[in-house]
Amino acid sequence: MKLRPGGSLWLLRHELRLYYFRMGITKAGTARRGLSRGNLILMALALVALHGFAVFLMRPFDQDYNASALVAIGATVMLAIVFTMMVSQGLKSSIDVLFERGDLDLLLSSPLPSRSIFMVRLAAVVIGTAALYLFLMAPFANAGLILGHARALAVYPVVLGMAAVAASLSMLLTLALVRLVGIRRTRVLAQVLGALMGALIFLISQVYANSGNSAQQTLGAWIDRHTAAGAPFGPDSLLWTPGRAVLGEPLSILAIAALGLAAFFLTANFTHGFFVRGVQQAVSLVKNAAAPAGGPRYRFGRSLAVTVLLKEWRLILRDPQLISQVLLQLLYLLPLCFMLVFKASTVVPGLGASLTFLCTSLTTALAWLIIAAEDAPDLLRTAPAPPSIVAGAKLAAAVAPALVLMAAPLLWVAWRQPVSAILLALCVTGASTSAALLVRWGAVPAARGDFRRRAAGSMVSNILEWGGAMLWAGLSWVLMALAQPGQVSLWVALAGAALFVLLFVLMALAWARRQRTP
Amino acid sequence: MSEPLPALRLVGLCKHFGRPAVDHLDLTVRQGELYALLGPNGAGKTTTLRMVAGLLAPDAGKVELLGVDLAHEPARAKQGIAYLPDEPMLYAKLKPTEYLEFVAGLWGVEAGVAEARARHLLDWLDLTRHAHELTEGFSRGMKQKLALAGALIHEPQLLILDEPLTGLDAAAARQVKDLLLDHTRKGGTVLLTTHILEVAERMAQRIGIIQHGKLIAEGTLEQLRGQTADAADGATLEDIFLQLTGQA
Repeated sequence: MKLRPGGSLWLLRHELRLYYFRMGITKAGTARRGLSRGNLILMALALVALHGFAVFLMRPFDQDYNASALVAIGATVMLAIVFTMMVSQGLKSSIDVLFERGDLDLLLSSPLPSRSIFMVRLAAVVIGTAALYLFLMAPFANAGLILGHARALAVYPVVLGMAAVAASLSMLLTLALVRLVGIRRTRVLAQVLGALMGALIFLISQVYANSGNSAQQTLGAWIDRHTAAGAPFGPDSLLWTPGRAVLGEPLSILAIAALGLAAFFLTANFTHGFFVRGVQQAVSLVKNAAAPAGGPRYRFGRSLAVTVLLKEWRLILRDPQLISQVLLQLLYLLPLCFMLVFKASTVVPGLGASLTFLCTSLTTALAWLIIAAEDAPDLLRTAPAPPSIVAGAKLAAAVAPALVLMAAPLLWVAWRQPVSAILLALCVTGASTSAALLVRWGAVPAARGDFRRRAAGSMVSNILEWGGAMLWAGLSWVLMALAQPGQVSLWVALAGAALFVLLFVLMALAWARRQRTP
Repeated sequence: MSEPLPALRLVGLCKHFGRPAVDHLDLTVRQGELYALLGPNGAGKTTTLRMVAGLLAPDAGKVELLGVDLAHEPARAKQGIAYLPDEPMLYAKLKPTEYLEFVAGLWGVEAGVAEARARHLLDWLDLTRHAHELTEGFSRGMKQKLALAGALIHEPQLLILDEPLTGLDAAAARQVKDLLLDHTRKGGTVLLTTHILEVAERMAQRIGIIQHGKLIAEGTLEQLRGQTADAADGATLEDIFLQLTGQA
């Protein structure tokens, strides 16, 4: 279809193309536009499989598709989970289209109306937010249609309506943050909020799972009482409108679609002025901290290792985006900490394995930033500094944070089971060190900005890194199981020995195919 | 009296990237001179400098820095050089003071000496008032000046610069040029590449012209005029360069 250059649809096509291109992976420093043919084939196969699965799942409802009130409540809860993830995705996309892509100056200096630019940009965020959920949920709508339930097609307007509300909310939140705290802090806050929203459901589910039987029963009774017929959140409550909509009730579908459209157009109309003035002004306004009195302060004279260590930590600590991405991994530590506090006597081996695994993933992330994403590799290579000291300091910089974070859980375990604590300390130290070494040996130089796409670097390196993490977690589990009273058995000991040998082989393999990285 | 060691000696240097990028290049840069290496795009200038800085291993040939073979004693050879590529090697999230501390650490400069030089360089390059800012907010000129300060913090004998004036405004370019001339006045050596021929014409004691990885002409401006068939007495370096490279 030939679209009029400069029109809104033409611009939307451009936006969607950019969105698609950014789905491409970066491999060994070369960017690929869009998905590879292999990935496209995989996606098509997944789509066919999802349709088959949906037909299989929905066939029992062939005769009776009437949604009960309870189903609507359940569907609403599911959609609420989806909505939090949509907001998380929307925040990331808003940051991307406002600050990361760097094409706003070009667009705003063109004769295109700024309202159209903002509206199209928001529309692209909506479509980008809806895409994944449509991919996962549309097969169920289509399967419903195949089985003769046209009402199942309600999935489309409901997902799009929810995406419009989520994207508008995310954009408003991002713009409000720009106004309140400035561009730099907005990036951090939006990233952290996005990460928190994404992990929220996981954290709530973990808190529930670890809250004990009596607390779960109390909560269940409370929910039953408040969702019974006639109660404030009974089956007829407006609160369950999304669930009724996705199950095909016409009025509810209309309500969700209208809400989505209203959110979209109100956001586009009322905020495009601020979008143009505020964001551009904020971007061009460089706020510098006040110069310290007495001129610059120098700290020369540190050893080379300490100098390198400090440089690495400064670079990470001053990059809020990276911190928020790394922090997301730490969020998943919280449920483990709950378990550690409340159930340490019974689940120490499992906890040891989990903590060891988390340590390796944190160290792997930091090691990638410190080793593969070195900003000035040529500076290091032209310097006469001994490469072994520089490399050693970089490894230490990657390993130390994970060990510091593990100090508190280790002390807690030590208080209850000293032998287990010693074994856990050994495993955590070994796992972190080997994780950093695996990154060093397999790292492909990359830019810091590619952190989220680092897994695309080398498949073999990824397999080795994941293999190392799993083996260390397994070894940790076995060793701590052996430390439990009455748990010593020949088979567990043999399993431990086998894991140790496999780890040795894996490290030897990684060393044999190591890259030369500064 | 024996001749002082050359600051840089390249013997039969070769590098292939599918095609020869540097082809049996012999070049000598004397101590205390400013040597400009000129050539059209793709002539092999940057590849040569990267081999001199130890960033690329030559396929054949030898690099000697102040008489030290780079391949055999890389750490000792690198101690006396500084390399400044056209894209400054900086860390966006470091402040100038922290960057200089890091570079001084890499070259093992003694604390007292490093601090005195850092203060002097930041003052001279008008960067003291920006010393507490992250370099990510710096202009191109400020970044280039900071990279130059980093290159000079260990007082290298040989300063290797690839297009040091690209993208600089007049004031920043003047500061960089003054700094380079001052470096040679104090006995230091400068090897630079540039596309701004007036800079080479005015600043360089000797000029080398490289094409297809080979040195096709070398000498002072007068000597280059002598090597050019049609060059008149007042021929500029631009005239000579275009004639020698067959682009006239």
